[in-house]
Amino acid sequence: MRFSMIQGLILAIASLGPIGAMAGSYDLVIDEQIVNITGKDKKAMTINGQFPGPTLHFREGEDVTINVTNRLDVDSSLHWHGLLLPYQMDGVPGLSFDGIKPGETFSYQFPVKQSGTYWYHSHSGFQEQEGVFGPIVIEAAKREPFKVDREYVVMLSDWSDETGEQIFSNLKAQSDYYNYSQQTVGDFFDDVKASGWGAAFKDRLSWGSMRMMPTDIADVSGYSFLMNGKAPQSNWTALFEKGERIRLRFINGSAMSYFDVRIPGLEMTLVQSDGNNVQPVTVDEFRIAVAETYDVIVRPREDKAFTILAESVARTGYARGTLAPREGMAAEVPELRERPLLTMSDMSMASMGGMDHSNMAGMEGMDHSNMAGMADMKGMDHSNMAGMADMKGMDHSKMPGMENMEGMDHSKMAGMAGMEGMDHSKMMMGASSANSDYAPGSGLAPEAANGGKFLVYADLKAQVPFANYREPDREIELRLTGNMERYFWSINGIKYSDAEPVHLKLGERVRIKFINDTMMMHPMHLHGMWMQLDKGNGRFNPLKHTVNVAPNTTLTVDVPVDALGQWAFHCHLMYHMAAGMFRKVIVEEAVVETAAQ
Amino acid sequence: MFSIRPLVAAFCLSALAPLAMAGGSHGSHGDEATPNIGQPGVAAQATRTVSITLYDNYYEVDALDVKAGETLHFELKNEGALLHEFNIGTAPMHKNHQREMRKMVASGMMTETGMVEMDHSNMPGMEDMKHDDPNSILLAPGESGELTWTFSGDAELEFACNMPGHYQAGMVGEFSSN
Amino acid sequence: MTAKKTACASALLLGATLALSVSPLASAEMKDDAIMTKFMLDRFEVRHQDGDDLLSWEAQINTRTDYQGLAFKTSGERLRNGPTESAEYQLLYQRLVSEFFDAQFGIRYDNQPGPSRTYAVAGLQGLAPYWFEVDANLFLSDQGDASARIEAEYDLLLTQRLVLQPAAEITVAFSDDEEIGVGSGLSKAEIGVRLRYEISRKLAPYVGINWEKSFGDTADFARAEGEDTEVGSVVIGVSAWF
Repeated sequence: MRFSMIQGLILAIASLGPIGAMAGSYDLVIDEQIVNITGKDKKAMTINGQFPGPTLHFREGEDVTINVTNRLDVDSSLHWHGLLLPYQMDGVPGLSFDGIKPGETFSYQFPVKQSGTYWYHSHSGFQEQEGVFGPIVIEAAKREPFKVDREYVVMLSDWSDETGEQIFSNLKAQSDYYNYSQQTVGDFFDDVKASGWGAAFKDRLSWGSMRMMPTDIADVSGYSFLMNGKAPQSNWTALFEKGERIRLRFINGSAMSYFDVRIPGLEMTLVQSDGNNVQPVTVDEFRIAVAETYDVIVRPREDKAFTILAESVARTGYARGTLAPREGMAAEVPELRERPLLTMSDMSMASMGGMDHSNMAGMEGMDHSNMAGMADMKGMDHSNMAGMADMKGMDHSKMPGMENMEGMDHSKMAGMAGMEGMDHSKMMMGASSANSDYAPGSGLAPEAANGGKFLVYADLKAQVPFANYREPDREIELRLTGNMERYFWSINGIKYSDAEPVHLKLGERVRIKFINDTMMMHPMHLHGMWMQLDKGNGRFNPLKHTVNVAPNTTLTVDVPVDALGQWAFHCHLMYHMAAGMFRKVIVEEAVVETAAQ
Repeated sequence: MFSIRPLVAAFCLSALAPLAMAGGSHGSHGDEATPNIGQPGVAAQATRTVSITLYDNYYEVDALDVKAGETLHFELKNEGALLHEFNIGTAPMHKNHQREMRKMVASGMMTETGMVEMDHSNMPGMEDMKHDDPNSILLAPGESGELTWTFSGDAELEFACNMPGHYQAGMVGEFSSN
Repeated sequence: MTAKKTACASALLLGATLALSVSPLASAEMKDDAIMTKFMLDRFEVRHQDGDDLLSWEAQINTRTDYQGLAFKTSGERLRNGPTESAEYQLLYQRLVSEFFDAQFGIRYDNQPGPSRTYAVAGLQGLAPYWFEVDANLFLSDQGDASARIEAEYDLLLTQRLVLQPAAEITVAFSDDEEIGVGSGLSKAEIGVRLRYEISRKLAPYVGINWEKSFGDTADFARAEGEDTEVGSVVIGVSAWF
């Protein structure tokens, strides 16, 4: 980077004050500077001269004042992603406030009511992608349910030498602008060789009839993937002494990129998700959607370097860093794995056209009723459990309904819907042939590089059960929709500019049922209130601010409506949000009917 | 939903490890010969009584001094919201045991808060789960329990909770022999 | 001259529409109903053929939101040493009517040697199943003559940047308009294959071959004028958008 890191550091330290000071006051300045991240000078937006912005250290229970000065020549803003605060402090121009005009300073003031790993970013234009983002670490008031010797923030991001405006207008003009992995004539003949003329032709016809591409994993390519602002060759390094427990606070601050994260040679014990403690779950790899955060604990017992690898899901590149006992060390960086291809299972019936959704009614029942059946082990055929002591030896085909997993026969959809209610992760013991977060047969379902355990949402269980867990008062269905070809995105087929706000009442518990009718993953983010991700863990359903909804799947979350005001609710893929996949949520006081009489 | 049975120390989870531990007999599963970790003791003969509170997901203390031949009587209380274990063993023994516990949870026999009521005896392959496990005690939320152990001084021991992920998150303490 | 005037008028009209429809909303935070303008030079090529080389163009400007807007289309041919053989301008209102198609309505003005013509236009433009880019139009001239034209293109990716594009265009007239040399029935067909190299998505030079033939009465009229009814050419050109 051209600007002085030391200068930035001094600025940051001076402005942040001593870490751990009570009732904190922070000064942040949003500006522009020339940076060189990929070997090419480019103007970036910085905060206090840093890219990404400095880590803000808050303490649970303190009142913070953050004075944000805008030195850009356009409006700016900062949004505190995942923080529970008065909506006027949420930093969304047009919803929370008017934005910060050039040259002006806005004072954010709010009490810090939570702890954990979060982040902040601009909610104006495409500034987030250009550098206006940074980590937030909130120290817990009470002892945390785990023990670590040291900790690091690992902030992932995607960096483009193009501006956000350019990328957006390119996508609008030609939606496959960035897809340089399209299927060629050569690929066709490879497929012919592999599966014969008939199959290859049929495959091309079925995709062609929908005018969809199996290679359409991510809308934007050409990104360099950064770890704490550093390109892979710069090798961001975190030091440790062997035997220590190290907490890594992963934050996906990308505009558009999901990552599959692993540390070859180390298992990771995930203890926090979106800032909330979860029951520790040990995994070999996890997928982090845009805007999610995951805290993991690793314990290297050897005096050697380990690679922290975050491959983009479309496998167009990776962010990389090193855990090392000393500076200057590096471990092997594994080659990028093969690019995934979407399958017909990732296609919603809606996008296939003409399908009557009423046929999907069976899906409604998938949440609890089926779970109860599962929990009741008596309902299972015990004879098939012979292999239980050695789960690896278990024949999955013996599990009722399992045989449907392989098939993509849509006539079986009703039966498959029921499958969702079954927690596959519990059944399969780390076998990665099924992933309950993706449509059965999906091409996007990840597998751990070492064949081990890949995190699924059902693994996330709140550390502390939710006190007011109950059945929701009502359900709101949100279909995630869009026009891939013309590149506009919507909810229930309606873009933000044409949509009525979603009205919620204070105190109610609302179930939101996301139905992804598109062939892309959407990280849905609700401001100001938690979403309790319902993967059948009941009162242990984890609290999240961002949930990934996979193509052609249904995901339900319960929202305890506890914050008055106007809130943003949107897909956190920056260009999907800008193209309309956004809703205003208005939370009003519940009118007590007897009072009105 | 699940019916949770109050747990007492008698219930044993580990299908493999405990066979080897109790009385110093040797199992066939270990990578190397199982070390002599000591044996169950009689409370009345204990030289000391140690009270340890279990929280989510850590022990109130994370190191204890013991002498070879010493018998300790542990008074344990689970103040957390989750099921926790107090298990005396070596690091490799804990690792094996964790594998077992993971299977138990994955199979639905155990949840984060307790055991699921079911008759295991009918299940082929599950008989091992009935074995006694004197070096370990499982405590449901709010539950108290006791364990008495005579230390041999021959092995590096840890007390640990082998509920999935808990050990890795730091729910482990050391017995040092100074 | 007239051609120039028409072009100017169209450009002015476009500009005016643009100015009028710029969103007054100051909260430009959400860009989901912004007006976008895209200029597409689909073909700009020299056709090497018997006799004089021909310069041929086909371009379109869209100024629109996701759902509606204006389109200006132009195409034509000019001999290397003049004169302009044909020139066509369309100004259309367009509206998204399905996920992949716009309906278009407006006027077309043809300026060519001989009498000019003005048409009412109704058409569909978009991406058909199996990835065919299609532009299909019905025309009704100020003389009361109706005709239809359909154009289709298909991109065959040899590599990520080397693309073979077969294209076809067929014109059918429903009545004679002898003044401009159009006879009832299948009047004209054009088939071409172009191999382009996308230096970037926005700029792609190409080479190819093109074959044009007129049929029926239209061919007879051409022969009467001493023109060829069938022309093959080797083309070299560039396509671009911005």
